[in-house]
Amino acid sequence: MKLQHNLGGLEGLGPVDFEKRVFVEPWETRIFGIHVAMMALSQHLKEAIPKYPIDQVPTSFKSTWTWADLRKGAEAMHPFDYFKYRYYEKWLGGISAFFVSQGYISQEELVAKTSAYLKEKGSIPESRNEPIDNQIIEYLRVGDPGERELAGEPKFSKNDTIRVKNVPPVDHTRLPGHLRGKTGIVDKVYSGFYVYFCSTGPDGLGEPMPVYRVRFDPKEIWGELAEEKSVVYADLYETYLES
Amino acid sequence: MSERFQYPQDREVYSAAKVKALESLLIEKGIITSETVDKVLNYFEKEMGPFNGAKLVAKAWVDPEFKARLLKDTPSAIAEMNFPRGMTGAEGENMEAVANTPTVHNLIVCTLCSCYPWPILGLPPYWYKDPTFRARAIREPRKILQEFGLTFNDDVEIRVWDSSAQIRWFVIPERPAGTEGMSEAQLATLVTPESMMGSAKAKSSPSF
Repeated sequence: MKLQHNLGGLEGLGPVDFEKRVFVEPWETRIFGIHVAMMALSQHLKEAIPKYPIDQVPTSFKSTWTWADLRKGAEAMHPFDYFKYRYYEKWLGGISAFFVSQGYISQEELVAKTSAYLKEKGSIPESRNEPIDNQIIEYLRVGDPGERELAGEPKFSKNDTIRVKNVPPVDHTRLPGHLRGKTGIVDKVYSGFYVYFCSTGPDGLGEPMPVYRVRFDPKEIWGELAEEKSVVYADLYETYLES
Repeated sequence: MSERFQYPQDREVYSAAKVKALESLLIEKGIITSETVDKVLNYFEKEMGPFNGAKLVAKAWVDPEFKARLLKDTPSAIAEMNFPRGMTGAEGENMEAVANTPTVHNLIVCTLCSCYPWPILGLPPYWYKDPTFRARAIREPRKILQEFGLTFNDDVEIRVWDSSAQIRWFVIPERPAGTEGMSEAQLATLVTPESMMGSAKAKSSPSF
């Protein structure tokens, strides 16, 4: 069981730091840009909506990188490190490790260049290539919708009572852990079938399936720790629900 | 074990050097260009940011029929406005609006990560990405909102929306009292990103 999949309801955390900035250090903007570029140049976009002409983009990036890959990296962390490191520190760790593990860069080069930049403020190398940047901006404008052709009928209808399944815990999920085993009511059946970026194996995600907006009574989830006069809504893939 | 809880002394300087090293290597290897990151950042500074959401809410405030269309079919209503191309782009493919009323207050959270409606609000602020917010807001929204400076009567229902699948939720805050006669442009200056995720109300007067 991973803490990262079960944050909901964790107690004793103290006040939220109401930090309104997106980036709290200038360096964080760079790893954000790199992550977007990776998603925009990803091989999986060949089969996305639309089918981006990825093979024509003159980048040496030939891997798949999606939100699922970024999330998996964060969910793989030691749970204490997950709280210890800031949001973009986690991104930097996960993304650097990815480039090393995929063989684009070596750990030695990364360490050596990091030391070099620690000693001297150099500038980054110059290199232009409009087709690469055009693809990245086009991805931002067009996106990567998960909707696919209908592949059957939704199992559940609006106002059905459902129970959230206790699917096997694996490395990655889109099931908030606090909902396992809880009963809710289908508030909306989203039109369309939706894929996820990867298969989550026994957890059940991947192939196109319906998604439901489910309404929960907080007392059902939290018992007497629930607040009065509140409602919880969660969007849940069909594989997570049973009657 | 105790080393786990220590930060390196040069924590930020080290990260800055490491990300610079990474970016340089990626450029050298032909993965990205030396303009890539700046172009991405420029897109969010100029084209997709909370200024879009502010315009959207201001229009909803002055035009009740538009607000009704926005709640019924969010993407179609957004498409009526003169926004740059990309409102159904990355992290905007499935945006949905919910409205605050005198008896309903909406709060958006992503308990699993930080899913956020990029085209309408830009990039998420740190409080929204904070595991402490994500863990607490889903169970004690009223308490969290109180810590953020918002108190609600017992007759107000708090709805928490967990963005756990494809939908990217955002909130249409209530129009503050005393803003009659303001132009749409003036009204837009009252709309903060926090008010569009439910962690604040819209400002009642422009700040100076």
